[in-house]
Amino acid sequence: MLSRVAFRSDVNYQALQRNVPLMGVRCSQTASGERDEVNFPRPVRAELPGKVRHGFIPEEWFQFFYKKTGVTGPYVFGVGLSTYLFSKEIYVMEHEFYSGLSLLIMAVIAVKKFGPKLAEYLDKQVDAIEEAWKSGRNSEIQTYTNAIAAEKKEQWRAEGQKDLMAAKRANVAMQLEAAYRERMMLAYNEVKRRLDYQVERQNIDRRIAHKHMVSWVVQNVVKSITAQQEKESLAKCISDLRGLAKA
Amino acid sequence: MMTNLFSVFDPSTSVYSLSLNWISTLLGLMIIPSTFWLIPSRNFIMWNSILNTLHKEFKTLIGYKNINKGSTFIFISLFSIIMFNNFLGLFPYIFTSTSHMTMTLSLALPLWLTFMVFGWINNTQHMFAHLVPQGTPPILMPFMVCIETISNMIRPGTLAVRLAANMIAGHLLLTLLGNTGPSLTSSLLSLLLITQIALLMLESAVAIIQSYVFAVLSTLYSSEVN
Repeated sequence: MLSRVAFRSDVNYQALQRNVPLMGVRCSQTASGERDEVNFPRPVRAELPGKVRHGFIPEEWFQFFYKKTGVTGPYVFGVGLSTYLFSKEIYVMEHEFYSGLSLLIMAVIAVKKFGPKLAEYLDKQVDAIEEAWKSGRNSEIQTYTNAIAAEKKEQWRAEGQKDLMAAKRANVAMQLEAAYRERMMLAYNEVKRRLDYQVERQNIDRRIAHKHMVSWVVQNVVKSITAQQEKESLAKCISDLRGLAKA
Repeated sequence: MMTNLFSVFDPSTSVYSLSLNWISTLLGLMIIPSTFWLIPSRNFIMWNSILNTLHKEFKTLIGYKNINKGSTFIFISLFSIIMFNNFLGLFPYIFTSTSHMTMTLSLALPLWLTFMVFGWINNTQHMFAHLVPQGTPPILMPFMVCIETISNMIRPGTLAVRLAANMIAGHLLLTLLGNTGPSLTSSLLSLLLITQIALLMLESAVAIIQSYVFAVLSTLYSSEVN
């Protein structure tokens, strides 16, 4: 209980009480079977010091009292024991005691005042060393993470190419369509021109025929008009005129 | 109960006349932090930074000659053992081994003796040259030789006595004040405690400074020889 050595830390102590092999044991060491690992486990070095209360009293002492006397047990025990020692002069309060008292007060004040700042500064140093050890691994991880991100970006860019191709294809299709329509328009115009020409020709033919027919009819009529008919039509016209003038 | 004021410095705690209190000299070994794990603890970093600062200081004092390489280690170890002994002696019921001439002389005398023997045998002319400091007017030179010789001779004495006397003085004061404790009223007790706290602060500073002085002077003496 008094020693802070090796396997008195919580985890390993509980493991011992549960009679299981300790965590620090390596498989290669158990393989030989030379040593009874269950009853004589190999001691493991504790990583952190044991838990203390008030700076120097081990937690195990408080746990020892807890079952029987509860939380105040160890304090009552301490006060009672010290009262006994002082009153019976078993522990004499002489010069060492007073200088010890002064030293205790000084130490407590120093720890409370400068402790946190010093701890912070030292922790920063420890963190710097830990960081230095981890830096190689971490920088490699960082490099690979960056590479993965870059790769993903490249993949996204490549997909963008597909869209680009589709757009280009649509563009070309549109151009083809435009060219087709233009040519269609051209063809239509040409055809219309040809057809119009035919229509015009027919119209002209009809007109010429009509003119010819009219002139032929007129010629024939004029040829067929006798002198008498001419005199009769003239007299009729004059009488019609007279009649119209009177009206 | 003390027979006389200085009995606080008497080696006691004996087992069949084997004085066990001198074991407190090695108590510092328990306090020096060790690097078992890859990542150092806070204690180790603090101790390491102190040692590194000292190493840098001593390096400039010793010089850069090939023969002096690595000499800082012994002076840093000297500093460590003296500092731990001085400082732990301030705690109640811990024996201050550096307050005894046996301890301090055992540290100082062999050191000085080895420097002198080595220096005088190997660099005799250099040692003679050191007896007359630079810039002395020629008329004073014989007297300077005398004075420097005497100063050289008493060096182990001064080293040892300085350390022991400082420790004794501090402890004596604390003991004297503490002895008035049992006969004090409760109100005066707080005054006593305040005074003792002030003294303890002074004593802690003195403890560390004296060890530093011892180490630095040894460094200087060694650099003189070479």
